[in-house]
Amino acid sequence: MQATEAVKLLLGIGEPLIGRLLTYDALGMRFREVRLRRDPNCPLCGTSPKITDLSIHRTGGDACAAPNGHPATADAAAPTRAGG
Amino acid sequence: MKTLREMLAEARQLVPEEGPEDLQRRLKSNTPPVVVDVRDPDEYRDGHIEAATNISRGFLEFRIGGAVSDPSTPIVLYCQTGLRSVLAAKQLKELGYQNVINLGGGYQKWTQSGLPVVKDVAMTPDQIQRYSRHFLLPQVGDKGQRKLLRSRVLLIGAGGLGSPTALYLAAAGVGTLGLMDGDVVDITNLQRQVLHTTADIGKPKVESGTRTLKALNPDINVIPLPTRITVDNVMDVIRDYDLVVDGSDNFETRYLVNDACYLGGKTNVHGSIFQFEGMATVFAPNEGPCYRCLYPSPPPPGLVPS
Repeated sequence: MQATEAVKLLLGIGEPLIGRLLTYDALGMRFREVRLRRDPNCPLCGTSPKITDLSIHRTGGDACAAPNGHPATADAAAPTRAGG
Repeated sequence: MKTLREMLAEARQLVPEEGPEDLQRRLKSNTPPVVVDVRDPDEYRDGHIEAATNISRGFLEFRIGGAVSDPSTPIVLYCQTGLRSVLAAKQLKELGYQNVINLGGGYQKWTQSGLPVVKDVAMTPDQIQRYSRHFLLPQVGDKGQRKLLRSRVLLIGAGGLGSPTALYLAAAGVGTLGLMDGDVVDITNLQRQVLHTTADIGKPKVESGTRTLKALNPDINVIPLPTRITVDNVMDVIRDYDLVVDGSDNFETRYLVNDACYLGGKTNVHGSIFQFEGMATVFAPNEGPCYRCLYPSPPPPGLVPS
């Protein structure tokens, strides 16, 4: 899936998965598509970004946390997948 | 009988003309025009505007339908100096294409303006056979294959996600693949990380990965990057690539890759998998959301396995 998306983007063809999250459940053999919107409060790409360089990754410990002012959400959007 | 001068003057009355900078602006817009190079194939091969499709003037009326389906689509035609193309543009207007523009000064003026061009080196007989099934796909074709061969993709992680992606991109003839992973092959990797074999246990993943990819397609260039991606190397590494594929296995890397790609203006093809569930999306800077729009912050440590 990632390879197909990469080829489409390189060639500028079709509809890439920009703004769409495709999930795949192998046991149920089901695909689901979730629309994703840009978050105007995003600390990186929002209207008043707090992350403007990579220095946040230099601080020890919680290097990937959102900076103050953008509270971590504990709702359904919390990431649950880690295995590569 | 009309003179050539009269014919050209008549065509110019009918066909609007734009300069190289106008075309460049249009190509960068959200609705780029169809660009047609009406010169002969050998002239096109020697150098052309990247976005252009080659339809020689002699075949124009026969083949334009294949390149443009909607007669209101903006079409920019060019030749070497802008004369053949203005006559060709007049023909298209007469066929009913409403929005035809001639590139004034043609390819010559485009190159004199210092704008980028691409040259098509002849494909080898092996390449012609290897990619023959791509040539049959109208969305890929000879032009698309050349674009793939010129493309550079960085794969972050040569594991469960990176392995199949790298294999398919290598097979498809993506010209340069950067393979970045600091790990060595472990026996527990082998039931899913198909770039590596039993004989590779203990070797760096980028070493076995490079060998597998080159064996699949010797036509491509694989750059092994036997190191973990870090805040210190990420910007330097991604700079050289057109596209990043994130196949990493931890949140720290995903946030780092996301932030670096956004700041560096690189599109990130994101994927992740856990047990029987997988997900994929594309983060394109300023075109759509990023990973932090989706997950502003990582889960608490210990909540998820890594």
